[in-house]
Amino acid sequence: MKTLLHRPLYFLSRAFEAMARGPQVAMVATATIFVAVLVTGLFATVLHGAGRLLETWSGEVEISVYLKPEADLEAARQAAAAAAPGRRVEAVSAREALQRFRASLGNQAALLDGVGDEVLPPSVEVHAPGIRLAEARALASRLMAVPGAAEVDFGNAWLERLERVLRHLRLAGLALLVVLGGGAAVLVANTLRLGVLARSDEIEIMKLVGATDAFVEIPFFIEGFLQGLFGGSLAALTLLVAALFGLPRLEAALGLSFPLARGELFPPSLFLGLSLGGAALGLVASALSVRRELGRA
Amino acid sequence: MIQLYHVTKQYSGEAPALRDVSLRVEKGEFVFITGPSGAGKSTLIRLIFCAESATSGQLLVFGRNLAKVKPAQIPYLRRAIGVVFQDFKLLPDRTVAENVAFPLEVRGLSAKEVRRKVQGMLRSVGLELKGSKFPLSLSGGEQQRVAVARALVGEPALLLADEPTGNLDPERTQEVMELLHAANARGTTVVVATHDRGLLEQYKKRILALENGKLVSDGAQVRRSGTA
Repeated sequence: MKTLLHRPLYFLSRAFEAMARGPQVAMVATATIFVAVLVTGLFATVLHGAGRLLETWSGEVEISVYLKPEADLEAARQAAAAAAPGRRVEAVSAREALQRFRASLGNQAALLDGVGDEVLPPSVEVHAPGIRLAEARALASRLMAVPGAAEVDFGNAWLERLERVLRHLRLAGLALLVVLGGGAAVLVANTLRLGVLARSDEIEIMKLVGATDAFVEIPFFIEGFLQGLFGGSLAALTLLVAALFGLPRLEAALGLSFPLARGELFPPSLFLGLSLGGAALGLVASALSVRRELGRA
Repeated sequence: MIQLYHVTKQYSGEAPALRDVSLRVEKGEFVFITGPSGAGKSTLIRLIFCAESATSGQLLVFGRNLAKVKPAQIPYLRRAIGVVFQDFKLLPDRTVAENVAFPLEVRGLSAKEVRRKVQGMLRSVGLELKGSKFPLSLSGGEQQRVAVARALVGEPALLLADEPTGNLDPERTQEVMELLHAANARGTTVVVATHDRGLLEQYKKRILALENGKLVSDGAQVRRSGTA
């Protein structure tokens, strides 16, 4: 480190000279890191996006407390408001419920002609935008204590199923990510090792004329770091562009009625993580390769 | 400068490359190490510049016991030793000047100082106009002169040459030997491993003869007894 601090520009120029002398090797190394980071980044983005999607969907949850016909609607509303502080609570009488249902049928509203006003139960609607699934469950269980409550519904049936699927998907995804990341690291290490082997003569001569290990290693570290940073950033940029163009199509395919913001699917932290991850991958792979070569020299 | 006490070098599964070799080389001497192929000449050279370590015995260079030198200290020891090889060991994708500059760059000299010393060294080996050329565009003799320049540019106290003229014709051989001779005249201790009898007869220096890894004769002893 002392060596690098004393002569940073010298080692930087040696690193750039080496890459200029062997541009094909540098490009292959960068491309390998690009592919490795792109694939693992895509996985990470999908996992992250799926998680955010679940949170977003669950955030649109409206909790309905269906009351028994004889229940006191106002008392139920007040109890629900107390159980859900800060949330908008709305009392819906049986008649209002039927009117809303009729309105939702649109052209088919005539189907309800002749249906009595009391056919649907009264309810208390709790609007909880942004609520997470776990909080929704807890709130639902509190709302069961509302006087006259017959049933509490927050779309739990399909959300819980979705959560289960996503949990399994996340675990499988994480396992696959680790395997993929490990495989990518091995691939990158082997590619960078080829680059080091191609310069084994240079390393031998440097050692011969009295170069310390640090003097030999530092340019390789810099090259690995720069190749990784460039490859990782390029991969992150590719994913960002794919998100930019792919997101509207994804929303249309899933029939989403709200936009999933690009920032939610591909946050700046992920972009930074991929770029720096690529740099770290390049640096570590280079370090291991050159140290192995120095051990032989 | 160089002292060996009962040095043996054994590679696993093979006959010893050096057996119980004891010798001294004083500061400022010019010494030939000779012997047939496989005698141990290159092994001895490699032991001296710490490319290998002895299996047993003691080897002192510049008064330092090489067995006690830590790996991190070897580069600093090598900066006082210049080495020339039969196959030149030049980097083909660097210019002549860049090849010669290497020893100075590892010492941390400024770019200006490196340029000055490289130009001076190229001038002394007669290659001042070839600095921007690449090694493969030079003749064998010129390439070896570049190797000698690289070995001497750091002003080493000791110069080791392992068959430096092995790939050269007689004229080029003379050129290279003159450079080594001139370095010795300036005070550098020179050790040349060679099986070229013509060089031994021409330069009349001390001869250390190896055979099957053993030191069979020492020129210093031969001179004292008056026998050639």
